[in-house]
Amino acid sequence: MADSAHPVEDLHLRNLTKRFGDHAAVDDLTLTIPAGSFFALLGASGCGKTTTLRMVAGLEDPTEGSIHIGDRDITSLRAFERPVNTVFQSYALFPHLDIFENVAFGLRRRGIKDVKPQVEQMLELVELSALARRKPTQLSGGQQQRVAVARALINRPDVLLLDEPLGALDLKLRRQMQIELKRIQTEVGTTFVHVTHDQEEAMTMADTVAVMNAGRIEQMGHPADIYELPRTVFVANFLGQSNLIQGSADGRSGDDVLISAFGETFRVPASRTFATGSSAVVGVRPEKMTILDLVDADKVPSDHNHLQGRVTDVSYTGVSTQYLVMTPWEQELIVFEQNMIVGDRCEVGDEVVVHWSPQHTFGLDGTAGTTVGVDPEVLDLEAASQALISDVSGS
Amino acid sequence: MVAVVPGTTGKASPPAVTQRRSRTGYLLLFPGLAWLGVFFAIPFVTLFFTSLQQDVPGKSGKYTAGLQFSNYSEALAEYWPQFLRSFIYAGIATLLALMIAYPLAYFIAFRAGRWRSLMLVLVIAPSFASFLLRTYAWRTILSDEGPITSTLDALHLLPDGRVLNTGIAVVAGLTYNFLPFMILPLYAALEKIDPRLIEAASDLYASPQTAFRKVTWPLSMPGVVAGTLLTFIPAAGDYINAELLGSTKDRMIGNVIQTNFIEFRDYPTASALSFVLMAAILVLVFTYIRRAGTEDLV
Amino acid sequence: MTTLRPEAIAAIAATMGSGVSRRRVLQAAGLGGAAMLAAACGTGGDASGDATGPASASSAPDQSDTDKVVNWSNWPLYIDINDETGERPTLEAFQKDTGIAVTYTEDVNDNNEFYAKVRTQLEQGQDIGRDIVVLTDWMAALWIQNGFAQKLDKAAMPNSGNIIPRLASVSFDPNREFTLPWQSGIGGLGYNKATLKEALAVDKMTTLDQLFDPALKGRITVLSEMRDTMGCIMAWQGNDPANFTDDQFNEGIAALTEQVDSGQIRQVTGNDYIAALESGDVIAVIGWSGDIFALGDDFGFEIPESGGTLWTDNMLVPALAAHKKNAEMVMNYYYDPEVAAQVAAYVNYICPVEGAQAAMEKIDPALASNELIFPTAATLDRTKVFMELTPEQNEKYERAFQSAIGN
Repeated sequence: MADSAHPVEDLHLRNLTKRFGDHAAVDDLTLTIPAGSFFALLGASGCGKTTTLRMVAGLEDPTEGSIHIGDRDITSLRAFERPVNTVFQSYALFPHLDIFENVAFGLRRRGIKDVKPQVEQMLELVELSALARRKPTQLSGGQQQRVAVARALINRPDVLLLDEPLGALDLKLRRQMQIELKRIQTEVGTTFVHVTHDQEEAMTMADTVAVMNAGRIEQMGHPADIYELPRTVFVANFLGQSNLIQGSADGRSGDDVLISAFGETFRVPASRTFATGSSAVVGVRPEKMTILDLVDADKVPSDHNHLQGRVTDVSYTGVSTQYLVMTPWEQELIVFEQNMIVGDRCEVGDEVVVHWSPQHTFGLDGTAGTTVGVDPEVLDLEAASQALISDVSGS
Repeated sequence: MVAVVPGTTGKASPPAVTQRRSRTGYLLLFPGLAWLGVFFAIPFVTLFFTSLQQDVPGKSGKYTAGLQFSNYSEALAEYWPQFLRSFIYAGIATLLALMIAYPLAYFIAFRAGRWRSLMLVLVIAPSFASFLLRTYAWRTILSDEGPITSTLDALHLLPDGRVLNTGIAVVAGLTYNFLPFMILPLYAALEKIDPRLIEAASDLYASPQTAFRKVTWPLSMPGVVAGTLLTFIPAAGDYINAELLGSTKDRMIGNVIQTNFIEFRDYPTASALSFVLMAAILVLVFTYIRRAGTEDLV
Repeated sequence: MTTLRPEAIAAIAATMGSGVSRRRVLQAAGLGGAAMLAAACGTGGDASGDATGPASASSAPDQSDTDKVVNWSNWPLYIDINDETGERPTLEAFQKDTGIAVTYTEDVNDNNEFYAKVRTQLEQGQDIGRDIVVLTDWMAALWIQNGFAQKLDKAAMPNSGNIIPRLASVSFDPNREFTLPWQSGIGGLGYNKATLKEALAVDKMTTLDQLFDPALKGRITVLSEMRDTMGCIMAWQGNDPANFTDDQFNEGIAALTEQVDSGQIRQVTGNDYIAALESGDVIAVIGWSGDIFALGDDFGFEIPESGGTLWTDNMLVPALAAHKKNAEMVMNYYYDPEVAAQVAAYVNYICPVEGAQAAMEKIDPALASNELIFPTAATLDRTKVFMELTPEQNEKYERAFQSAIGN
């Protein structure tokens, strides 16, 4: 559906910076978003992702840097002059206009006389034809969301910006809309830039994800690539869950870097290690680990990384079982085991050995610790439960 | 069916609850209805009957109950110029008030930031002083030797060489006195507008002017309607401004009603005039609301 | 008439520091009041007296001896006030001497308005809660005609004989059986000496020709009180305000209309003219003697050569008043020349009490020789008391007058 007059082009952000007083909300951001991609800008609130989006939309002036679409510099264009449309977080539908007129708004502003065919086509695309003459307040959240998409898309923008578009919806509807948005994007082929704090949403929908932290992009790439090989502690924690063990890189063995921690030594392929100094973190995703009763320790493949521990919690979730394993150095690791084993599972209190392939291991720079990027609420919860446990056991 | 099923015992109680609830509803209504009845309905009916009283032939100032509808036609025939003038003056004053109040309310709602409360207080601050005192102050402001009149006169903008005791002064006084009634509803309406709607409009190719025309203005319509009504209605019935700032050529319908009531003790004519004023305002208000289409607004 | 509430004008007068005019500063008739009255008067507005002569007023059992109280309604700023303490010296002295408590209320702001306020009660034969009210001649006449005034016991009021001869007999009360004058005043020409000199190169304004001189276009006002404005105009036209025909009145209306239409007359006002004179917006007016006098030396007052008007505000006892005897004691007290002089020294209107002039010599000799407080017979001869009107005439003339001034 891209305008035949000019084909969809890449969006380039160059050295984009936005400062509010001393605080840099967006810090020297350089980024190319390929034409026609579904691009997700993922980060916690306050990381600068929304500010970036607003600068692209023209609602915020950058302090420094430029924004181009293809070769055209749009940095100094005002919002209403840009070939960019936005789906706002709150939808921002015009309450005094009906659905039809909301969708037709952009067309009318551009002086298009006969808006009816286009609007009807667009309403059909978002499956709202029957509600054309309703007012926004008479619609459900999901319907409003679709109107917001239709209102933006009908203008065939070079780039469609989506600012947490699903944030106001409940979980079930959110899932449904994720699929819906993906379908629409595939149909129209417009570049979508989707801002979200929901890593699952980003991974489900986007073909490229950029993880943002403190005004900078930590890592960018295909969701699976980022997940399998996070390059920073922040990404490892923010995108999915990771077991991270603080250690130090003290040598190599062939293509592997050796990282020692708490008396154990872990092998990490050099290509999967991003530690620059000696302080390093060993990381592995929970589902990559296998758990064995200590008596079966001899079944651990010789080239696997492994460590001993004691099971402190077992949660059966159907698809998998989630174990918490306490290491000798009092770190709790999380392990997902697919429920493929017939017979006994490990139980709380069992002494176990946990092992995983070096090919699933990653080495990260360890200077910032292991908790960067963990949801602060989770950290609080952990601290609270620790305090509770020590209280109970102390009395 | 007398069988005692758990459901049947339960069935008896809900009506009682509903009854109590609906009675509470009426109780809540009572003070308002009583107020309206005593201070609106009764005077309204009395006023209506007074307006139809008959003269007693040969006895000036004496009236008996009757159905003398000619009171209306005679009152209108005699006082239509004052009626017309009232609506023209009130109309101009309302328009001026809107033109002054809108930018101010807009500024307070969207730009004033932490000064917002202070500015709102300043808007209503003049109302802390008596209406009369403020109108009197305008006599000083518009005095022949005062700076405003001198300046306007030097620019040859004043046909009579003065502002005080002209229609200009009356309209200025009306505008000034009822301005807060315009600003406050406008502010309330503008303040409710989500600024993101303006952003959305500008995102959808609306220039700032177009965004105002297509989004801000229509969304502020309830405030515009409320403000213009709250300004126009009292302004049309006002007599203080014409009394203090006008001349004999600027008398409004309020002055005439007062004269008939107090000077002539011609209660039927005064009542008829009041009724016509009320009816005219009602008609205007309904036409206006219909055309402004406020019922469609959220 | 103006529409202002008394409190408001008092406040305005105070803030603007205007020379506080004495009597008519505060005429008020709020429309709000009018609306309430509309409800009150209902359909019963047909009961007022139709007697042609004085009707006998009902009296109530006099409670004066047991209840040592008098309720007195008067015009604002119409009695001596100690500006520092806010007390009313003559009233205080009376209360001290007699032990009678006087409730003095300044709630007569306008004859018509006051009448509208108490009319229903009077017509229904109820006590209006006042033992003395002060009303202008024509309104007092209306009360007497309708039987709303009680006959006074002159034997109990020896001082009543001190009334000046000019006021001892009036058409509506030939023997002063119902009323005693409180103060009188003259309607005539008031002006700002300096601006008048600038405009017309004269020191005094003595004729209505000067008032209507085109050089003063838009700089003059006349009173909304029909009797004063029309009285002055009719006298100027050579007619007699005390005795005129419909045609003569209409001739006067025509002259007034001409001056209104040409823009010569800037405004027709109640007391507002005082502020306008002071601010300089207005150069000359048809106004009241006491007001202009109170404005000070920069302003002058003249009885027009063609003649001015004379009016009197009269004390009377309303029907069914419960303290008539006490009321008569008050009236008698204020007809003591010494007391009358004290009041006159403050209010600056014409004092109706013989002998007060001599008493004034002791207070302020300048005032004693003031023609506007103690006019000579020759001066008074230049004024006319407006013709007594029947209710029908009154309505007819009022309507014509109001119509001419924009109502």
